[in-house]
Amino acid sequence: MSPESQIEEAVCVAALNLPDPEVRSQFLDRACAGDTRLRAAVEAMLRAQAGAESFFERGREAVNVPELAAQAAERLKPPAAEVEPEDLTDKQLGSRLGRYQLRQKIGEGGCGTVYLAEQETPVRRPVALKVIKLGMDTKSVIARFEAERQALAMMDHPNIARVLDAGATETGRPFFVMELVRGMRITEYCNEQNFDTKQRLKLFIKVCHAILHAHQKSVIHRDIKPSNILVTLHDGEAVPKVIDFGIAKATADRLTDNTLVTSAGQFVGTPAYMSPEQADNTGLDVDTRSDIYSLGVLLYELLTGRTPFDTKMLMESGVDAMRRTLREREPQLPSTMITSMRRTELTLTAGQRHSEPPKLISELKGDLDWIVMKALDKDRNRRYQTANGLAMDIQRYLDNEPVMARPPSQVYRLKKLVRRNKLTFIAGTAVTVALLLGLGLSTWLFLRERAANAREARLRAAAEDRAKITQAVMFVSQGKLQEAEGALNQVKNFPPDPTLDSASALRSVGEWLALQGRWQPASERYLALLKVNQLDSPGQVVFDYQACGVVLAASGDRADYDRFWQQAATHFDEMPNESIVLAGSLLPLDKTQIERLKPMAAATERQIHSLAKNRQSEWTFTPMGLWQLRCGNDEGAVQWCQRAQAQGQRYPPCDAMVDAILAMAHYHQGKTSEACSELAQARELVDAKFKSGLDRGRAGYGFWFDWVFARQLEQEAGALVKCEVAPPGSD
Amino acid sequence: MDDVTVVLQSIGRGESQASEALFPLVYEELRRLAAARMAREAAGQTLQPTALVHEAWLQLVGAGDRTWKNRAHFFGAAADAMRRILIDNARRKSALKHGGGQQRVAMEDLEITAATPDEHVLLIDEALLWLETEDPEKARIVSLKFFGGLTNEEVAENMKISLRTVNRQWVVAKIKLFRWISERT
Repeated sequence: MSPESQIEEAVCVAALNLPDPEVRSQFLDRACAGDTRLRAAVEAMLRAQAGAESFFERGREAVNVPELAAQAAERLKPPAAEVEPEDLTDKQLGSRLGRYQLRQKIGEGGCGTVYLAEQETPVRRPVALKVIKLGMDTKSVIARFEAERQALAMMDHPNIARVLDAGATETGRPFFVMELVRGMRITEYCNEQNFDTKQRLKLFIKVCHAILHAHQKSVIHRDIKPSNILVTLHDGEAVPKVIDFGIAKATADRLTDNTLVTSAGQFVGTPAYMSPEQADNTGLDVDTRSDIYSLGVLLYELLTGRTPFDTKMLMESGVDAMRRTLREREPQLPSTMITSMRRTELTLTAGQRHSEPPKLISELKGDLDWIVMKALDKDRNRRYQTANGLAMDIQRYLDNEPVMARPPSQVYRLKKLVRRNKLTFIAGTAVTVALLLGLGLSTWLFLRERAANAREARLRAAAEDRAKITQAVMFVSQGKLQEAEGALNQVKNFPPDPTLDSASALRSVGEWLALQGRWQPASERYLALLKVNQLDSPGQVVFDYQACGVVLAASGDRADYDRFWQQAATHFDEMPNESIVLAGSLLPLDKTQIERLKPMAAATERQIHSLAKNRQSEWTFTPMGLWQLRCGNDEGAVQWCQRAQAQGQRYPPCDAMVDAILAMAHYHQGKTSEACSELAQARELVDAKFKSGLDRGRAGYGFWFDWVFARQLEQEAGALVKCEVAPPGSD
Repeated sequence: MDDVTVVLQSIGRGESQASEALFPLVYEELRRLAAARMAREAAGQTLQPTALVHEAWLQLVGAGDRTWKNRAHFFGAAADAMRRILIDNARRKSALKHGGGQQRVAMEDLEITAATPDEHVLLIDEALLWLETEDPEKARIVSLKFFGGLTNEEVAENMKISLRTVNRQWVVAKIKLFRWISERT
């Protein structure tokens, strides 16, 4: 092949990856760089492309008959499958299956028939009994079910229908016994009730929580789809129930290697809801993130009325094409899907969502599009890592907060293009291209690729970090702080964009570490927290600053504390805030720091004077006492502390602070005995608290960090004040 | 031990002429399977190469050597065999449509837009003969994919090239074949 045609082909393939005509034309301008012969050749190839595709498509019809594929597949099935036991006939109704009495047929699905049955022992209750239709090895189905039985038994969730039992009919077919759920498919229910998008999302969040519960017990559903999520009414409230847990796993038989096809040529599982890794069956373990994908499909359908890929289309395309579609084809955005509908379908879809077409489209565009696409990512590492992550992002959308899901950026798309064509450009023709076109194209490609690679690495790292944070949040919500700490330890960089998630995870873990006196790791958590807690209430932010200051001082690194101090001063500037005055005065200050903090302290003092009596408290005055001590005004310090002590309601941690401040101020004034007695009181309070064990504390009465603060001051006073007799309590 | 296993094993030992020895065996088996299929199917039904090739693989090799390397050799031969079967089949049907007899249909007689799927296959086969001299790698990919029904992964494995090369070459090959055909019909 000539070098010219190599270049033509390389440019043509690259251009084909740019479907947008404008982008493609820009690309050609640059790639051809005025070479009209090359441009003409490439354009001719591009023009022929659509024709070539349909020509080959038509040719394939002559060599592609899906029925034959199914026939061949049927011949490949194991001998056991050939024996198809007879259907349970109506006359068998009323008869008994073990301890179950069959009452009536209530449904027929792809893989089995469901009966209403009555359990007789140990309790009499109605149950759903599902007889598996597939003629498969009953023993192995039941064995697989038994293997998962314990895990299934541990599941106890209001939104999960329990699987109670499994057995075999006389003709050898496996059956499963489940909690009876009388309900409607979630999609049908929402349509019938004309649920709007918000109501649908709220219902969907409940489904996520059910799936999360199962995942926490290491049970993967594997077959999440509308017919397995039924909605029942409970006290007038719609309650989704996930059914069939554990059944997909028990019945998913490996028929022949690489075959997902059953005797009837059907997929095990439902293609439209199947994750790419499930369809691919390349030995990649299916994990909980496969269920996240199926949840994404369900969400897609709840929002748009359609699945990302049409079931019929998938079934007709044959097994290989189906795999390819699931593995490679990007689904349309939900909003795009809606937009591409015919008028009648569009009006119907919008109507079922209590909306009008334009409104529905604009509702889906943006955040909801990206939430769905994140759940549907081909790469499971890029999906939501937990059902909780998905639920939380939807909750954030409902609360009008920024969501974690983001549209792929232009650079990200470009990166995908470059990655697809790297071999073309780098291995195949880079040398020729560089020689023939001059530096233009290759330099451009090189720079573009380098930028894309760097960006890709960053994006990937950020995605991994986000996943770890989600994980940490989940652990925190379960009270597993050790695990949460482990997850946070793996986070390389906290995302620059603030999220409530990361803030609460960092706060909980930081607090947990601090309560154990692990100051160094705690201080890292708190420093990160200050970067991301911008979305919290101002009150919470102040608490975070207080805690952070205390932790840094306790960890003993003055330089870190000073950096924090500077940040606090910048953040709060001249705003009156006694808590920040207190936090900023924890350690002795130098002249510059005193000058910097003066305006805030002055503003705070003015505010205190204007406060109504009933709003003043010990907490209001103590910070000013400490501030005056830092300024070298011992008399002022004593006066503020006395005002604090004059308050009717006293708080032990604040008392200890006041005592320590007074000890230092008195000592400076030469009143050693007063100093010693104040110090003794401070020490008694602090020692008692730390002996009984530090707890989180609560607002008003003092948090853990108030006690650590008090101890810090008590120790400073202890080092300063020289008493002749060791004060009581020190041993 | 059956013939195919013997042949595959000799390929494994590096006796390259074994590849050619494989062809008639595979061809016969595919024809036998195809004939069985055709007899059972309603008239007008044709063949699904992937199904046939995979079935032939199971039939011929059975529980014997199933290493991926030998699978690649086998599929290479099977694609060639499938192509021959499909072309014979398409010629027969196309000739029937054009008045019966066994003579070949002249390309010039075909109207590209009105061509039947079978005639598309014939045209692609013709064009492929040209591409084999022009750009053998692309021609091989087309043969494996179009006639052998192999997936891109299987093609990559078979030809020891990367998956991306397969994707890229396949796209360009289709364009080239189509333009060649368009210029001649």
